[in-house]
Amino acid sequence: MTDFLLEEALRYLGAARADEATRRAVAETAQTLRGTISPRFVYRVFDLEKKGGAPFLPDAGLTLPGKLARRMLEGCGKAALLICTLGAGFDARMRHMQARDMAGAVILDACGSAWVEAGCREAEKAIAARHPGWFLTDRFSPGYGDLPLTLQPDWLRILDAEKRLGVQAAESCQLIPAKTVTAVIGLSRQPQPARIRGCAYCALKNTCTARERGICRAT
Amino acid sequence: MPLDLHKRILLDGAMGTMLQSSGLRPGENAEVWNLTQPERIERVHRAYLAAGSQVIYANTFGANRLKLKKTGHTPDEIIAAGLRAARHALQGTGALAALDVGPLGALLEPLGTLTFEEAYDLFAEMMVSGQRHGADLIVIETMTDLYEAKAALLAAKENTALPVFVTMSFDANGRTFTGCTAASMARVLEGLGADAVGVNCSLGPREMLPVIREIRRHTRLPLIAKPNAGLPDPVDGRYSLSAADFAADMEKIAGEGVTILGGCCGTDPDYIRALSGLSPAAPAPDAFRPCSFLCTPTVPLPIDRVRVIGERINPTGKKRFQQALLENDLDYIVDTAIQQMDAGAEILDVNVGYPGVEEKTMLPRVVKALQAAVDIPLQLDSADPEALEAGLRVYNGKASVNSVNGDPQVLGRILPLVKKYGAAVVGLTLDEAGLPDTAQRRLAIARRILDSALALGIPREDVWIDCLTLTVSAQQEQAAETLKAVETVSRQWGLQTVLGVSNISFGLPNRSLVTRAFLAQALRCGLTLPIVNPAETMDMIAACRVLGNEDEQSRRYVARFAALPEKTAAPGSRLTLEEAVQRGFRAEAGALAREALKEQDEMELVECRLIPALDQVGADYERGAVFLPQLLSAAQAAQAVFEVIRASLLQKGRHAVSKGTVLIATVQGDIHDIGKNIVKTVLENYGYTVIDLGKDVKPEIITRRAAETGASLVGLSALMTTTLPAMEDTVRQLKALPHPPRIMVGGAVVTSAYAEKIGADFYARDARAAVEAARQVFG
Repeated sequence: MTDFLLEEALRYLGAARADEATRRAVAETAQTLRGTISPRFVYRVFDLEKKGGAPFLPDAGLTLPGKLARRMLEGCGKAALLICTLGAGFDARMRHMQARDMAGAVILDACGSAWVEAGCREAEKAIAARHPGWFLTDRFSPGYGDLPLTLQPDWLRILDAEKRLGVQAAESCQLIPAKTVTAVIGLSRQPQPARIRGCAYCALKNTCTARERGICRAT
Repeated sequence: MPLDLHKRILLDGAMGTMLQSSGLRPGENAEVWNLTQPERIERVHRAYLAAGSQVIYANTFGANRLKLKKTGHTPDEIIAAGLRAARHALQGTGALAALDVGPLGALLEPLGTLTFEEAYDLFAEMMVSGQRHGADLIVIETMTDLYEAKAALLAAKENTALPVFVTMSFDANGRTFTGCTAASMARVLEGLGADAVGVNCSLGPREMLPVIREIRRHTRLPLIAKPNAGLPDPVDGRYSLSAADFAADMEKIAGEGVTILGGCCGTDPDYIRALSGLSPAAPAPDAFRPCSFLCTPTVPLPIDRVRVIGERINPTGKKRFQQALLENDLDYIVDTAIQQMDAGAEILDVNVGYPGVEEKTMLPRVVKALQAAVDIPLQLDSADPEALEAGLRVYNGKASVNSVNGDPQVLGRILPLVKKYGAAVVGLTLDEAGLPDTAQRRLAIARRILDSALALGIPREDVWIDCLTLTVSAQQEQAAETLKAVETVSRQWGLQTVLGVSNISFGLPNRSLVTRAFLAQALRCGLTLPIVNPAETMDMIAACRVLGNEDEQSRRYVARFAALPEKTAAPGSRLTLEEAVQRGFRAEAGALAREALKEQDEMELVECRLIPALDQVGADYERGAVFLPQLLSAAQAAQAVFEVIRASLLQKGRHAVSKGTVLIATVQGDIHDIGKNIVKTVLENYGYTVIDLGKDVKPEIITRRAAETGASLVGLSALMTTTLPAMEDTVRQLKALPHPPRIMVGGAVVTSAYAEKIGADFYARDARAAVEAARQVFG
């Protein structure tokens, strides 16, 4: 079985083809992380309507503007809002590691990104398990494509994330703790053909070096 | 306080969900209803009072200046209206109204960017309003960061005369979201003078029970439990417990001796009514065990065995440390801390007293820097009461103070600080008359110190005695007297003993041997808190722990000597300096540099060997042959070489030659800074002096510091599209200086086109590009 956490972390590091020593260092960090910090998530599933053509969650008081949300949530009767985080403990560990060893910190950072991604996948499984007969769309997030980053505070408020996960948004809409993902997933009675993968939707498409280094999974 | 906190007191239940069911829309500010819908607020209060609540929480949870910013209302308006509604509702009931104070909604340093002092001011504003508008008490609740709870509690104690309850929210794993333990929470809040402590929100009563038990073990204070109505269903958000089930679980919590009961999210007046049906409070067995204790929020440290205090954060006799203090080089001090922790220190003594250093600003600065980077309790070491107070104030956790002595003036100046901030204190057995020369005299002074502390209400277990190590080469007969006194204080009085052990060997050859021999004897006499250089003494302490039957089956001793040294080259291999740097072997790189300095001078070593080696790694990185972690390992190995060079130059009375000063910062609004820190690491190891202003830095501050330091190059990082305007603004202000620096910009969302557009001189796509920019500027 391939180790998702390890492979994903190596990919973030741009080191998918790394030498044995680097792989070993990343594997050790991933192992420690797995043993000490668990990704935590909260989600809620809302009925989905349309308001002026845009997806609208009446019970959350939330409209999802933009083409991406419209396309991705087409035909969905429900939508799950999700927040997944590694929590402040990870940030503390990053601070400690940066004071001690920047190389180790870069590895830890990549493992953290991979670990919160693994948490999102667990959340998707949990949502799917509670909704037999429904199909889940691809997961997408504020800041991705034309879904505004400025929706972050709404996500936090709707899911009561400050109390339930200890997550806050700065004025710039950055989330604290650092390894925190907000996302929406549509639920539809039919399989959703739309996909979000691909650089065209990525907010970093102009500056990303992952593509030219051949390590971006989206391409 | 008109209520007896040791008897059953019923609080209220949730406010937010009650308001939602009476029409509060999602996203609407609940506290503004105090002004616009006061009758609905009153109705909620009345419902709780009718259900039996004896204390109601005014609707002021989020009434702080930060959270109210968008509403156009001041905290004072909202708090006045909130307390008016509460007081109105409780007329004639004999119940009390509490000012409710929740988290500020912005995270404190080092997790976020709000400073402790700013947090204190925001809370103080609320506390003053609360008292002015008739609150009977203050409740600080739903805290997850002990530092924020401390700021709030200090603000309440210093600005009002009201009783203060503090509850924090814990996870089922027994920690808050920021990792704070129940033990640290209880000890710190009791030390700071809370009237009752406990837990609210986040858990149902059943999950809360183990946390409550743990808190009980660590405090004498009355306890509060205000849990949720079970756990919410993720799909629809409904809470799992009925009022009857909730009350049944609360019976068990009450059985643990918790006297103050209420409900949080998902509860309503029915839940409170169900609580009034519980059997009357029975006195619970006292679970509190007095125990000497220090902590950070995440590291509780009971002094239940020998705990080593690292002595190295101290400028006395250390040129390199003195230089670091004078240059405000906190990274060096943090490194010293890390080395001691790795060697086995469990507490760090922090002394920053040196001519030319203002202790009362330096001590809190160093405390903050250390606590951001390492997780270990600190002992603040100063004779200056102002410095001690400044340090204790910003310390997150329970610290110790080193030291007081038997001089009544010293006791009078310092013990009140120890009491106020809930610290432990080291009592040094000397006084205004000088050094005692017998064990008896030491004990007499110790007794005086203990009595003075007890008279101020400092618990006995927080008084630690230092029986004074004198230099054996000067006063040979004194070593035995010291040990005699240690034995009495430790074995007969049952107090912790501290000794600055290293002092014993001053002036003798092979000092380390004498120090360790004395240490072994002192440990045998009961010494629990040796202040030592852990690198020299931990082996001895490990052995003593075996002999003292403390290290069960010698497990830790065996593990210690079976452990393999980390990341070193294979034994017997012969690396060149260049190879050691490129492969990231720090220890070897340092050793090889020392060797190389016998034949080369410092500058030649840097220019002809170190920099080319780093360039080679950089070139390999660019063509994808090595990866970022290896690039940084090489940079860190280079840092070890630079330390050797710096020490060598200092020995010759010269300062390291810098290739130029670069000022770097993450722009305002940006709170994630790993990219900037990577750039800093790499630049420093090319010999540039980097002044790191940190994250979320205002344009004005970057500009002012650029002008003050005369840095020729400024590096700015931005991570989000939302913070690019701050970068642009910073560039504009820098360009308006009379002698504008060159500017390089970088970060996830920055492009070369954008860099050009805003007038930056360089676009640094990564750390290597930043080095190239520096080369162009400094030649």
